[in-house]
Amino acid sequence: MLPFSIELKAGLPVAEQILFAVKKAVIAGQLRPGEKFPSVRVLSQELRINPNTAHKVVAALVTEGVLITTPAVGSIVAEPVAGGRRERAELLGADLERVVVEARNLGLLLEEVQAGLAAHWRKLGGK
Amino acid sequence: MNNIIETKQLTRRYGRLEAVHDLSLAVPAGSVFALLGPNGAGKTTTIKLLMNLLVPTAGEARVLGVDSRRLGEAQRAQIGYVSENQQLPLWMTVRQLLDYCRPFYPTWDRELERRLLAQFELPEDRKLKNLSRGMLMKAALLSSLAYRPKLLVLDEPFSGLDPLVRDEFVRGILEVSEHGEWTVFVSSHDIEDVERLCDWVAVIDVGRLQFTEPTESLLGRFRRMEVTLPDNGGKLDAPPNWLELARAGNLVRFIETRYERETTERACRERFPNGAIMAHPMTLREIFITLARAGRKTQKGVIA
Repeated sequence: MLPFSIELKAGLPVAEQILFAVKKAVIAGQLRPGEKFPSVRVLSQELRINPNTAHKVVAALVTEGVLITTPAVGSIVAEPVAGGRRERAELLGADLERVVVEARNLGLLLEEVQAGLAAHWRKLGGK
Repeated sequence: MNNIIETKQLTRRYGRLEAVHDLSLAVPAGSVFALLGPNGAGKTTTIKLLMNLLVPTAGEARVLGVDSRRLGEAQRAQIGYVSENQQLPLWMTVRQLLDYCRPFYPTWDRELERRLLAQFELPEDRKLKNLSRGMLMKAALLSSLAYRPKLLVLDEPFSGLDPLVRDEFVRGILEVSEHGEWTVFVSSHDIEDVERLCDWVAVIDVGRLQFTEPTESLLGRFRRMEVTLPDNGGKLDAPPNWLELARAGNLVRFIETRYERETTERACRERFPNGAIMAHPMTLREIFITLARAGRKTQKGVIA
């Protein structure tokens, strides 16, 4: 069994979906710092995905500092990075823009979007 | 050797019928390559040509660096081949089949054999002729995986398998995956069977190559676009990389075949200055249907 929950949806890039699910699991505390992360083979077998995709996901998680590779154990979950707040906020830019476009298309008001955002924030245990 | 399989103008005729025409393909080492096309497109003929079960009428194929007509024991020991129409010794039990295959392969892995037997839940003492179709395919797969082939060739492996067996089958294939040194060439008439597995696709129809491309690049360059207009303005002229442009009320829809966020949005604004632009990713299946429709219209087949 994988230590994070994911349901792959058609149409979206598989690698991105897994990256998102892993980061979400880290934020939500399903994956804790120091815990072992599944190997490329286990990831590929459990999700029935191309091993090259699985390899790419693990490599990306290492590059982004979510995982650390150790020679003996494989990959483990890293301590959360304390990088610059602004840099981290910038990472969200494209996603926020997408939300804004979707919301405008649906004719929502800014307050309604903010309320929805806050609800999701609390659902994942944020303060 | 960067390409595990390479064909050049590969052609095969049966009498006056041309089953494969001028097919040039390159299968990079380490890829999971899907050969897709409707029934009768020439997939099985192509695979038989690769496996030297048929001789080309013209052109050539190289497999593991060797001309397919010269494939010998040394290459066969590195290739796993499973076909839906495979002839198996049906009088043998599963155990006898494995005992029979083992001596042919120096790299046979008994531990892997044992693991796959358990995973596939194959009854060792049952004769092949008394196995269900799914069981039989699993036995054939097991006898091709146990020696950890460098190249796995699967001809329509999933057709007629129920979802559970198909799932076990995929898991079994992934069991022997070794990053970078393991290549799979799989044919299917249904993209959904292989969508998450393959990283390269080639589509053939009536024996001809329609296109071949990495799946990532296909998924990256195709988007279903929607532009919501504030009024009835704007003009409906499509650049050649837009397909199926249509308008209903204030909504304009089209399929972008060369999506790049900035260029696509600029092209939209030139035509619909105040429209709200949305780009939706498409599944491989949707992309194939779009390309097939476009190919039928232009008869050129390729939107490149």
